[in-house]
Amino acid sequence: MSGPRNRPVPSDAAGASSPAARAGAPDLAPPAGGLVVAARGIHRVYEVGEEKVHALRGVDLDIRRGEYLAIIGPSGSGKSTLMHIIGCLDSPTEGTVAIDGVQVADMDETRLARIRNERIGFVFQAFNLLARESILENVALPLQYAGVNRRERIERAQAELESVGLGDRLGHRPSQLSGGQRQRAAIARALVTRPAILLADEPTGALDTKTGDAVLALFEEIHGRGTTIIVVTHDPDVAARCRRTVRIRDGLVEEVA
Amino acid sequence: MILEHMRSATRSLWGNKLRTFLSMIGIVIGVGSVVAITALGESARASITSQIAQAGLETVTVNVGRRPGAAVERLFTEELVDKFTEFEGIKAAAAVNRSNAQLKAGEESASEQITSATPAYLDIFSLEMREGRFVTEADMLERSAVVVLGSELADTLFPDGGAVGSSVRVLGSSPKQLRVVGVLETRSDTFGFSFDSGAFVPRTSYLVRIAKPDRPDSFVLWADPDARDVVETAAELQAWFDAETGSENAVRVQSPSTIAETMSGVTDTLSGFLAGIAAISLVVGGIGIMNIMLVSVTERTREIGIRKALGATPAAIRVQFLVEAIYITLAGGLAGLALGMGISKVASGFLGWDFILSPSSMAVAVAFSAATGIFFGLYPAARAARLDPVVALSYE
Repeated sequence: MSGPRNRPVPSDAAGASSPAARAGAPDLAPPAGGLVVAARGIHRVYEVGEEKVHALRGVDLDIRRGEYLAIIGPSGSGKSTLMHIIGCLDSPTEGTVAIDGVQVADMDETRLARIRNERIGFVFQAFNLLARESILENVALPLQYAGVNRRERIERAQAELESVGLGDRLGHRPSQLSGGQRQRAAIARALVTRPAILLADEPTGALDTKTGDAVLALFEEIHGRGTTIIVVTHDPDVAARCRRTVRIRDGLVEEVA
Repeated sequence: MILEHMRSATRSLWGNKLRTFLSMIGIVIGVGSVVAITALGESARASITSQIAQAGLETVTVNVGRRPGAAVERLFTEELVDKFTEFEGIKAAAAVNRSNAQLKAGEESASEQITSATPAYLDIFSLEMREGRFVTEADMLERSAVVVLGSELADTLFPDGGAVGSSVRVLGSSPKQLRVVGVLETRSDTFGFSFDSGAFVPRTSYLVRIAKPDRPDSFVLWADPDARDVVETAAELQAWFDAETGSENAVRVQSPSTIAETMSGVTDTLSGFLAGIAAISLVVGGIGIMNIMLVSVTERTREIGIRKALGATPAAIRVQFLVEAIYITLAGGLAGLALGMGISKVASGFLGWDFILSPSSMAVAVAFSAATGIFFGLYPAARAARLDPVVALSYE
């Protein structure tokens, strides 16, 4: 699991490599007090037939750069909805969200896609690797959408896979790997674009305890390099390893000491 | 980026070989039939042109049109022959009259047309002699009582041979006796006129012995394709007549080339019509592609969700699926091209035509198949691009 660490790690890695530093985004604001997530008064209402379901009812949440945060809560609490909004997969019905200093609440799908690509790395419970592609191609895929040329894509994907200890499995299909290896490949894919946030949704949910621990150990290591990590989980053991925990209950957030 | 889409399209289509193949069949058949029909049309056209060329591309006829009028009566004289030879691109001309007659030689008889002929007539129709000679200048001057028979007529009247030197009687109110001086070689009909069953009498002699028409029925001209395009010559003559008669229907100038053009027009219309029907099968094939692409989008909803989570814009997803659709139809189009060429090659072989398929038709067929892919791939691709990432990611 301990592959060669050939990536230079600045002390403030997330800040130094933050895409917020990239020019071009018109609504780019200076990261307010180093906040990587600044959510204000978030409401999310779904219309299910005639009925309106309030998944989030006015959530305020600040997450500072370099935090390792757990979002916990029972199913149906609005936990997933909050994760989708932080991950720019969904937009709030009401309220504002700044990701890495960029207001995203009113963005269209194309611009949200760019934000996801540049600033957010997803890790899913079910790994969500493309079955037909090798893990090298899987890890290189976000760079393709970022417009990086093929040669650099392959080089960077390879380096990322080496850093999670899969340097000798580059050409393997996901089906040829164990669950733990797949999740590490997925983590490599999430990190390959140097995102501001690593957003993990039940990352150990599909793994046995031992493999899950190894994945969490890898998270510690990534956090140690300065990356902000947000883990959405209902597993108290997973939450216990995070530095800060917030709980969602009935669409509202509360801090857990 | 496009290259990347092509790689991924190849992988995804290759991963579903049977389905890809089945959805391609519609396009293969559609393009194949369009190509086959177009090729057969082109071959038919070439074959007609070459048949007409064999019949003599150098002959131009001038006939009385549907509404002759007084102008024609004035224009159609023996002197017009000299006028014609002044035209650029015309080497010789002859006035022609025909009349039906009962011919008898010994016990044999035949009812055929007697045609007035001049020495130039031989060249105008590129006639060849089987025996004896054709009408000469001397025959013209002396108004000789001679006749040249078509091969078939000669065989009818003289089943035992020996036509040349024998006599033929032309029955009527005042029967005439004509001496056979030659027999024509067999040849194909021109403008529906059979030389083989005709009898040819020197024009001067014809006008005193056979009939006394008010004016020539028609003129035949010997055009010189080396000096000038025959169609052009015919067009100029037509224009001259139209101006002289003040009507477009008084006189009709025809060359085998103009007939060839008319025939080609008919073939083109017909093959265009058939290609249109074949194009319908291409549309059916396109609907098949659309169906399979919609299935594919549904099946790969989760993949689309993953790609979107990783930063694929709606445009990137749209292009990805569009490239796949174009891929299938283009591959189907190329296979159809090969199939169509095979079919038309075999068919034209059976029909004895030359196989012709112009590069432009091939390009059109392939371009059409790609266009089918774009057209029928657009909707499924748009649907994939519109998918909500959250919904797509949670799709089982």
